[in-house]
Amino acid sequence: MVVTAKAADGKELGKVEKHYHPQATNCRDSKMKYGAQWKVANIRDTSLQPSQAKKETIEFELPAGVREANVTVELYYELTTPAQKYPIHTVTRKVSLDR
Amino acid sequence: MRFLKLILVLLFIAVPLVASADKAKTIDELAKMYDSSSCKGCHEGIYKQWENSHHARPLMGVKGGLMLTPLAKAKGTAFSPDDPKKATLKNYPCFKCHLPQAIKSAEDSVAVELTEALLTAADEKASDDAKKAAKAKVAKLQITCIVCHNTNAIIHKRELGEPKDGVLYSSKAVASHPDGKYKAVEKSAIFKDSVYCGQCHGLGPNFDNEQAFQCANLYGSYLHSYIPSGATQTCQDCHMQKGDHLIAPNWNDDKGASELLAKAISLDVQTLGYEWLLKAGTHIPKVVVNTKITTTAGHRIPDG
Repeated sequence: MVVTAKAADGKELGKVEKHYHPQATNCRDSKMKYGAQWKVANIRDTSLQPSQAKKETIEFELPAGVREANVTVELYYELTTPAQKYPIHTVTRKVSLDR
Repeated sequence: MRFLKLILVLLFIAVPLVASADKAKTIDELAKMYDSSSCKGCHEGIYKQWENSHHARPLMGVKGGLMLTPLAKAKGTAFSPDDPKKATLKNYPCFKCHLPQAIKSAEDSVAVELTEALLTAADEKASDDAKKAAKAKVAKLQITCIVCHNTNAIIHKRELGEPKDGVLYSSKAVASHPDGKYKAVEKSAIFKDSVYCGQCHGLGPNFDNEQAFQCANLYGSYLHSYIPSGATQTCQDCHMQKGDHLIAPNWNDDKGASELLAKAISLDVQTLGYEWLLKAGTHIPKVVVNTKITTTAGHRIPDG
């Protein structure tokens, strides 16, 4: 998931990435591995779990003089390489500090 | 007595020969033994779904890749053969799920042929024709109708025995099955149950191999996260609706895969703009983004 905040002029104000997936090593060193031929067991699992919501709170501090931000949240599925992306949802919100 | 000895000696020699003759020595022979093209005549729709499925290309990875290449390369992995010509079935523990018929019905020579094909397909110096031919050879190795509806159809072998020759297994019995080889269809107790898919879609580390390795964890996630939540759907309920043998996702179909993911995963986004007062007189303009992702899947995402 990539959350991006941009000013009205398009300038990027901040970007946060969250990666949800099981993470395995070969249990002989501490390096994470991809590929069944290398992996032996999961040591961490940040993946989406059945019947459980994955919640995040992401904060962007705005620079002086900026009163508005366009926020985009992109959720996609990465297969074997970051280039193999399957878009799932894209949500955009205009957020203003002025009432 | 001498005659009896002679008979015993002959039997001793002949039995391994018979057993060996039953096994495939080449990729072509193995593909022919498990060929299910005759199913297409009567089950055309299902056959087309299967042809587009990952079960039809279990050694090909996604979008034409060859997922076993690292294992074929000398010293490429702990499983790799030192010499491609001496490759054995043991060099490919992935066969347990990606080609179960090889364990049952192939000689080590099939592993040698596969290793050579994988190396040719990955060889930068090989001609395009040679690479194409090597890839086509690997593509012949498929999880065919026979593998699911016979080879892997029984998990209670102590009670029910091995799958019978000439019999297919399915969710319901068919009294007369008009096929030259498979003339009967018997009902399998597990065909509508997640445990059937769980045979390959993984619990975690494979400790039954001399070198432990881990592929899919999906069935483990189903058993230990989904079932404890009180949910009751099976793999087939979601992935084989109306008997669909595509068993989506099909990662070669970008649009279809995205649509399936969007159906199973929801994203809620809430935002807030305000000025945070950290200390008196210093307001910090801030945007807060709250995201909530939920899934209807019966397993962790991602997994396989």
